[in-house]
Amino acid sequence: MHPQIEELFDDADSRHLKIEELRLVAHYVSSIPERLATYRSLRDCELEVMQWVANQLQAELPQEPEAILERCITNALLMLRHCGMAMLVNQESIVKERFLNWVQPTVEVYNTRAIDARLYQLLNQRLNQTLGKRMELLNPTLLMAQKALVPEKVESVNGVAIGW
Amino acid sequence: MISVADLLTDKQLPGNYFAAETYVRGDLEMGLIENRQGDRLIALPETLIQAIYSGLEKETGQASRLVLFNCGRWWGKNFYARFCEQLTDYYHLSPADMAMVEFLQALQQCWITHGWGKIDLEQTHQQRGFLVIKVWNSAFARLASQNKQLSCHLEAGILSAFFSQLTGRELHCIQTSCESMGADCNRFVLGLPKRLEAVETLVGVSDHDSIMQQLCQ
Repeated sequence: MHPQIEELFDDADSRHLKIEELRLVAHYVSSIPERLATYRSLRDCELEVMQWVANQLQAELPQEPEAILERCITNALLMLRHCGMAMLVNQESIVKERFLNWVQPTVEVYNTRAIDARLYQLLNQRLNQTLGKRMELLNPTLLMAQKALVPEKVESVNGVAIGW
Repeated sequence: MISVADLLTDKQLPGNYFAAETYVRGDLEMGLIENRQGDRLIALPETLIQAIYSGLEKETGQASRLVLFNCGRWWGKNFYARFCEQLTDYYHLSPADMAMVEFLQALQQCWITHGWGKIDLEQTHQQRGFLVIKVWNSAFARLASQNKQLSCHLEAGILSAFFSQLTGRELHCIQTSCESMGADCNRFVLGLPKRLEAVETLVGVSDHDSIMQQLCQ
């Protein structure tokens, strides 16, 4: 749960929640059906979206070894799952602590940024086509994760448009 | 042709196994903490660490360093076995088959999650047969007597056993700088015992760079 909301519940013995704090809780609660629906859609389309991305990527980058592309796709699947979970419980730190901490150093060592940049562009394009308006809740977390892994300077060096 | 369905056949995608939020679990009613595999963890209160230091110092004097080092060796041996078991279970790869970057990341995250501080490997002297390990924010250094002597003998023992098992060669470990003496981090040098013998007398007297210079001559 979002740390700000979690903290609110710690004060039950000393005070009632203020109006703005209740508003924060109400805002999150009212967004839960939408979050659940987005999560379900994401779960259901995961395989189709990623297979489409994998096919495109392989067609565009035939010179890249399959093992490297598979590594990038596995990392993207991991990213999508962590972003989905973070969106569901409204807690961005899940992505930072459980995904970025782990994947960031490997992206640097394996030097896959150019591939990742193209992969994210394809992924975002396909997700937008498949999920449409449901992407609104997922987008901020997904873009945060993608920006952390493929900083903009790489965008200009390789001339790759990342699409955010 | 890449098949995403094939990439998803394992029950989980390999993520950050040692992430603190998911790795450490507790049952307050039972007074237990355990890891995500269900193995018991032990919490070392600061008072206990301080008491171990002062008790050993009183009982064994100078030998306390050796006692702590040997305890560390024992601990490190078991730690290595458990660490490898967890890696193999989760990533379906033996540590020998893991890429160095992933193995190192797992070790770093594991070190942090166990509350031992941040660990990093410096490979500048690897060609000469020495591995320098740096540890920041060590509780073992913070709780030792300050400004007196190098104090991470337990960690030196752990590292010596861990890397001996990893490399399959008997390695010794000496500490060359210590947070308890105002250094920016704790530095350890790993190498063959015979080669480290030459600088044993410099430990605690010379600084890290001088010791490395002497070793690499």
